Amino acid sequence: MDGVLIPTLVSGLLLGSLYALMASGLSLIWTTLGVFNFAHGALMTLGAYIAWTVTEQLGLGLAAGFVAGIGAAVIAGVVIELLLVRPFYGSRNMMLITVMTTLAASTIIERGISVIWGPRLKQLPRVIDGQVNILGAPVSAHETLIIVLAPAVLLALWWYTGRTRSGRSLRAVGQNQDSAALIGIDVPRTFSLAFGLSAALAGVTGVLLGSIRFITPGLGADPLVNAMIVVIFGGLGSLGATAGAAYVIGMMEALLVLWLGLYWTPSVLFVALIAVLVFRPNGLFGKVSA
Amino acid sequence: MTRTQRLFALAALVLLAIVPFFVTDSYTRHVFIVAFIYATVAVNWDLSLGLGGLFNFGHVAFFGIGVYTAAILTTALDVSPWIAIPAGGITAAIAALIIALPVAKLQGIYVVLVTFAFGQLCLQIVLSQGDLTGGAEGLVRLPYLTIGDYKFIRDFKFAYYYLALAILAVSVIVLLLIAQSPFGKSLRAVRDNPDYAASRGISVARQRVLVLVASSVMTGVVGGFYAIYLRVASPEVFGFSIATLVVSMVLIGGAGSIIGPAIAALALTFATEAMAGVRGMEEARFIIVAVAMIVVLQVAPGGVVDIFGRLLGSGRKT
Repeated sequence: MDGVLIPTLVSGLLLGSLYALMASGLSLIWTTLGVFNFAHGALMTLGAYIAWTVTEQLGLGLAAGFVAGIGAAVIAGVVIELLLVRPFYGSRNMMLITVMTTLAASTIIERGISVIWGPRLKQLPRVIDGQVNILGAPVSAHETLIIVLAPAVLLALWWYTGRTRSGRSLRAVGQNQDSAALIGIDVPRTFSLAFGLSAALAGVTGVLLGSIRFITPGLGADPLVNAMIVVIFGGLGSLGATAGAAYVIGMMEALLVLWLGLYWTPSVLFVALIAVLVFRPNGLFGKVSA
Repeated sequence: MTRTQRLFALAALVLLAIVPFFVTDSYTRHVFIVAFIYATVAVNWDLSLGLGGLFNFGHVAFFGIGVYTAAILTTALDVSPWIAIPAGGITAAIAALIIALPVAKLQGIYVVLVTFAFGQLCLQIVLSQGDLTGGAEGLVRLPYLTIGDYKFIRDFKFAYYYLALAILAVSVIVLLLIAQSPFGKSLRAVRDNPDYAASRGISVARQRVLVLVASSVMTGVVGGFYAIYLRVASPEVFGFSIATLVVSMVLIGGAGSIIGPAIAALALTFATEAMAGVRGMEEARFIIVAVAMIVVLQVAPGGVVDIFGRLLGSGRKT
């Protein structure tokens, strides 16, 4: 068992890290605007493709690729906010309408990507080559980097939203838009900020994932669904609950794959999800109702 | 449902019933058949999304479940297609019951997330249970429909055309009857003012279970028909693309109007098929549909039916 357990736990940590990065972006927009961004996965894919183009086709190196990829995701995120979310602020069905418009945005981005880049598989080079020994189990250095980087990014985000002025304006707007405007916060700018920040998280996930999986137009679909399962489990209310749920789900998934195999893991996860929701409709750690 | 609307629906049905006498080529009839199938999915979705106000994003999964029920029954168990098609309605209804269990108690965005995740789960199960479902390649060469020795594919799909039209007509008639019934009225009450509806003794949870099951039956049946008609079942039926296409039919047509989504389904199917013939548009046509949906949401949230209604001055959606 020892020989299998450590790699399984490491893979659980890796999945948890990726889910935490994805889901915290979704949670950030939800807590600030009350919008669920279905284009989050597509933004991630866009980041990966731009990073690939800059790194491989233009030959500018991986660092430039990362910056370009994340930058492209941020621009696309802000454009989505301006064109597809902003016109519906204050509408009675805003939550539902923005689900539709962001779903449409995800179609536009994904299909646009296949028009521009075609169906051929692409892959980014790894940030670090080689392997690291974790408790006697060999793990690739790149995956270790993701495992270390994700909590660092989350901590930075937590520090930003709790300790800085502009970060706290995000929370103020999320709690009460009118009062936030009264104390001098530029509410529309804060909305764009939330979308841009969330898109940056999607971009980071995309460029990291782009070197462990093949980049296809559908790269973001699976992670988006998993991030959705995470936010259902954790509730959309707070960053801590979302991150916690991400690691719980990542670990569960890795252990289930070990015990039951790849076939039954999604079904068991889903049954667990339904069970959680029947007894705790606001998620495992959730308190804030939708 | 006003008298004019009823007359309009009847006229449309008569018109569609005589189309095959003028349209004799196999391809145009095929587009009509596909349009009827999408229209059936769209109008049933409109029952839960538009009339019921339930943010159900797993509706296309009911369709996919119908597709795979018919495909698996006919290939693995040698069941006659005539039994396999209605069986799709039964399995879809069972799936609707299962998903209704958590959905009955959930609020707002969580309904969207759970129903959406349900559709993706179906996809993963289909992909992982390759022995039964054919995995990513799907199932092919399903048996075709026959009556005695008569194959439905003959005479340029004449029989398939009328069967598809019949499924759509039954769906629309049943849904219009539901919309007018006390049950339909209580659905709208729950949609427009859940607290008041609950205070008048309407159980929101019970309504949700009923509306999900009611909208799933014909969706599953038409899924079974789709599989038998095309003679394939592919995992794409659970994908984002079909879901986005059908939801845009509901929204462009006008959510809650039943007739609107049916009209939009016909129009959009012909539009996307026409664009598919243009070089370089195979992918771009989905972008155009998505943009059209966004534009309709911005300029005419009530959909095309609402625009016509305002032009004719004949008031509100059903």
